[in-house]
Amino acid sequence: MKRIKRRAMLKGTILGGTVAIGLPMLDAMLPRTGAAQTGTAPKRIVFWFTANGTRQDIWSPPGNMDLSAHPLHAALAPLSNKLIFLDGVDQEVAYDSIGDGHQTGIACALTNAEILPGTLFCEGSCDEGQEQYVGWGGGQSVDQYIADEIAKDVVTKFKSLELGVQVKSSSVWSRMSYSAPDQPVPPREDPNQNFTDFFSDIESDPFALKLIQRKRKSVLDAVMEDHAAFQNRLGYDDKQKLDKHLQSIRDLETRLEVTTNFGEACATPELNLPGSSFQQNDMYPVTGKAQMDMLVMALACDLTRVASLQWSRSVSGVRFNWVPQVLDESHHGLSHYDDGNGSAKADLLEINKWYSEQFAYLLGLMDGIQEGDNTLLDNTVVVWVNELGKGNTHTRRDIPFILAGGCQGYFNTGQHIDFGGEPHGKLLVSLTHAMGKPVNSFGVSQYSQGPLSGLDT
Amino acid sequence: MLPQGIKIYLLLAAVFLVGCSGSIGGGGELAINDDVAKSLCVVDTPIRRLTRFEYNNTVRDLLGDATGPADVLPPEEEVAGFNNQAAALTSSDLLIEQYMKVAEDVGARAVLDIDALLPTCDPGLDGNDTCALTFIRDFGRRAFRRPLSQIEVERLKGVFDWAVTDPDLGRFEDGIQVVIEAALQSPSFLYRPELGGETPVEGDVVPFTSWEMATKLSYMLWNTMPDAALFAAAEADELTTKEQIAAQATRMLDDDKARDLIRNFHTQWLLLTHLDSVTKDTSVYPAFDDSLRPLWTEEIQAFVEYVILEGDGSLRTLLTADYSFMNEQLASFYGDDVTGSVTGPEFRQVQLDPDRRAGFLTSAGLMATHANVNQSSPVFRGKFVREQLMCNTLPLPPNDLVIEPPELDPEKTTKEQFEEIGANPACAGCHTLMNPIGFIFENYDGTGQWRDQQNGKDIDATGEVVQTDDIDGVYDGAVELAIALAGSTQVQECVSSQWFRFAYNRTVTSEDSCSVEQLNDVFRASDFNIRALLVALTQTNAFLYRRAVDLQPEAGGAQ
Repeated sequence: MKRIKRRAMLKGTILGGTVAIGLPMLDAMLPRTGAAQTGTAPKRIVFWFTANGTRQDIWSPPGNMDLSAHPLHAALAPLSNKLIFLDGVDQEVAYDSIGDGHQTGIACALTNAEILPGTLFCEGSCDEGQEQYVGWGGGQSVDQYIADEIAKDVVTKFKSLELGVQVKSSSVWSRMSYSAPDQPVPPREDPNQNFTDFFSDIESDPFALKLIQRKRKSVLDAVMEDHAAFQNRLGYDDKQKLDKHLQSIRDLETRLEVTTNFGEACATPELNLPGSSFQQNDMYPVTGKAQMDMLVMALACDLTRVASLQWSRSVSGVRFNWVPQVLDESHHGLSHYDDGNGSAKADLLEINKWYSEQFAYLLGLMDGIQEGDNTLLDNTVVVWVNELGKGNTHTRRDIPFILAGGCQGYFNTGQHIDFGGEPHGKLLVSLTHAMGKPVNSFGVSQYSQGPLSGLDT
Repeated sequence: MLPQGIKIYLLLAAVFLVGCSGSIGGGGELAINDDVAKSLCVVDTPIRRLTRFEYNNTVRDLLGDATGPADVLPPEEEVAGFNNQAAALTSSDLLIEQYMKVAEDVGARAVLDIDALLPTCDPGLDGNDTCALTFIRDFGRRAFRRPLSQIEVERLKGVFDWAVTDPDLGRFEDGIQVVIEAALQSPSFLYRPELGGETPVEGDVVPFTSWEMATKLSYMLWNTMPDAALFAAAEADELTTKEQIAAQATRMLDDDKARDLIRNFHTQWLLLTHLDSVTKDTSVYPAFDDSLRPLWTEEIQAFVEYVILEGDGSLRTLLTADYSFMNEQLASFYGDDVTGSVTGPEFRQVQLDPDRRAGFLTSAGLMATHANVNQSSPVFRGKFVREQLMCNTLPLPPNDLVIEPPELDPEKTTKEQFEEIGANPACAGCHTLMNPIGFIFENYDGTGQWRDQQNGKDIDATGEVVQTDDIDGVYDGAVELAIALAGSTQVQECVSSQWFRFAYNRTVTSEDSCSVEQLNDVFRASDFNIRALLVALTQTNAFLYRRAVDLQPEAGGAQ
């Protein structure tokens, strides 16, 4: 009898070290579905979140889109013909919603829906009758909508991948994805864990993989039966809660047998994993880079078509110690100084420039992966989202949106458009169109009447 | 411009209603009637998912696995001030996926010592099937915190049989491992269903079964699964009367596992997690370095743990004690405030200068957390006292207000600067609630060290406390304020309601009025003894009963 130790599966995760595994090409591991079989690369969408607004005064690109001397975006210069800068797009729904500037900024960003009433997020007394505080976001987010629609056509290993870099807390201030109203989707924050979850299928022994799949199926079958019996005893509200749990198990089982799609560029990324220190402030750049590397490879391997990378959270308190010029004060603290405070302004420039450099790194990786005549970036749209326009006023008008990648020619890239006050819900509608899952409006329809004009080719 | 008339909502944590009928079970009519349950302060009890903390403790007690495997799960939603609120413990695809992986890891570790799992059965002698069934029944009963039904036993046996007949597995251990994996992913393990017995005592009010009561007590007072004594009491159906339940609660508070409860509660109530990210400008505070943070936390934890579990248990002592717990490094940070010398890395009880320090409130950890990087913060300190100790709900600052702490002015004290800002009529409405309380703490700098002077001027630690139920007035220094807080009914009832929320995993509703009243009565009668409050939490109708499970959606509810 052949026995395989499960531990052997995990040899890729050497915490704190550089990890790489060679790629076997084995029939047993070929995907049931995916790009390799359809012959054309799929479209993908990625959401990229940074917090506390930006330097609105210097954010816009010059008329000729030459970014090489831009104070914030110089790192993006080589890719400027693949970008669209959006000025004058307002998160109008946030002004109707309950909740503070940051809460609405992040909870409405991808939902275009008002925050739900409730007493969940409260301080002091949280008891009945003290209901000026808020609940979770009030609608499905556009990434989850698109993921659900794509799942009707194709089963990928993950329906969507939400990655986070030091998001840490779990509250309405820290969630931008919602599977449904009141149902926040937590991001995956541990790059070590992600490495195992994403790439442990790439294993030299396909029999071990088959065994794990078999075992999981057997165990999950029993667990699902258990759930069904359990639910019969519950009251209505509890049953609703458990229905979702059971649905997640069903979904997990469906995806068990989907393995890595060994496209040309798909390989286990070489990583500098941060080990157990991934939540420490000073590891923010290392954690972020590992998450970006894995995100790009997850897309190249077609593990998913919908992803997000959330840097910190709204009201981000990250201290940018590694940027030498920046004061040892939190990003949120710095974002609150008056416009006349030159030192804080200089710091905010450095912080937002650093994020722009990270964005350039991600886009560079994606643009370096060839998929037929296109690059991965060309087949994708990456959407830079912020919960605010500017930190010290909490304005949710003129949010600094950038689109990158043409999504297979849907977007007319290489331009800067000033929309002069269009609601951001229309941008979300544009994204559904770009991904081939068009809707007429998304979230609050008043603020999402059709797509933004001028974005598409 | 600010909107006019920003209202300050003050919670009167006191009783909303009087005249609730007191006890249940007087042989009344068994009519299904909402009013009966309401008048008895009985509400629905939602199922609740284990928190990561509870999961870790549970597998520690269930399988001896103390590796903290649940740490990789997504964090709980932090709502209503705590991370264990039933309403917020929802699930997500990621959580379910990680549950599977955590269960696999725990299962793999558990079967490394198969003899420990099966002390009474030897597969070589007794046969695989016999030992598997023995394990499933015994382990299952502890994992699900109740006896398994025959169907459940057969289901787990089916998983065992699959493994021992799979061509690539086949060992007895493999079978046990998948049984553990399946059990740890079952809703009966991951959730705490408290459905109640089948026979109403009155209206649609039902008591809990002894098995459910064992689990309720255990997670409330230990944040983990029941021990052998609780299981034995459940088996004998001896958790049905108030006296039986109180006796167990008293026993449990004497057990070391109650320390988990005390630490977990205070971590959240006193916002101690905020301490982990405290940083200071070392050009202003050269005594600060990162190694102080865990010491500050441990000081507060060791103190509350001692007072509640070994000391007099009194809220007054928590707020006013003139002693604390420190090691050498921390004592040296406190300097003259500590009487006598402390050596070595071990924490031990130390005497404090009673004119300078009082209870947890003036601890360096709290003072440093509620401060800015380069100065104290009267606003943050006042906010902490208002929200955490007085249960006030402060309105959020207006959305588009530019907020920044004043620049350091070497000519002025922090108080002088904040007084200027607080005088601005746009801010005064709310900040008169916070700043003057913060001024009373001005003897503690941004790291919590004592100071008599700032920028060459004497510290003025007076402040006027307004809009409270019962402690309005001018106070000079935090020791004076702490004594007032300890005697305040508003504070006492706030503490009681914080424990209610934490212990019952939900907020207080209007239907809880008689339970709240009962808790406050017991708390007062015990001279505000936290241990007495904890036992009292097992004696309310809100804890002892629930409304019978309604299998139909409520009219007008979700579809």
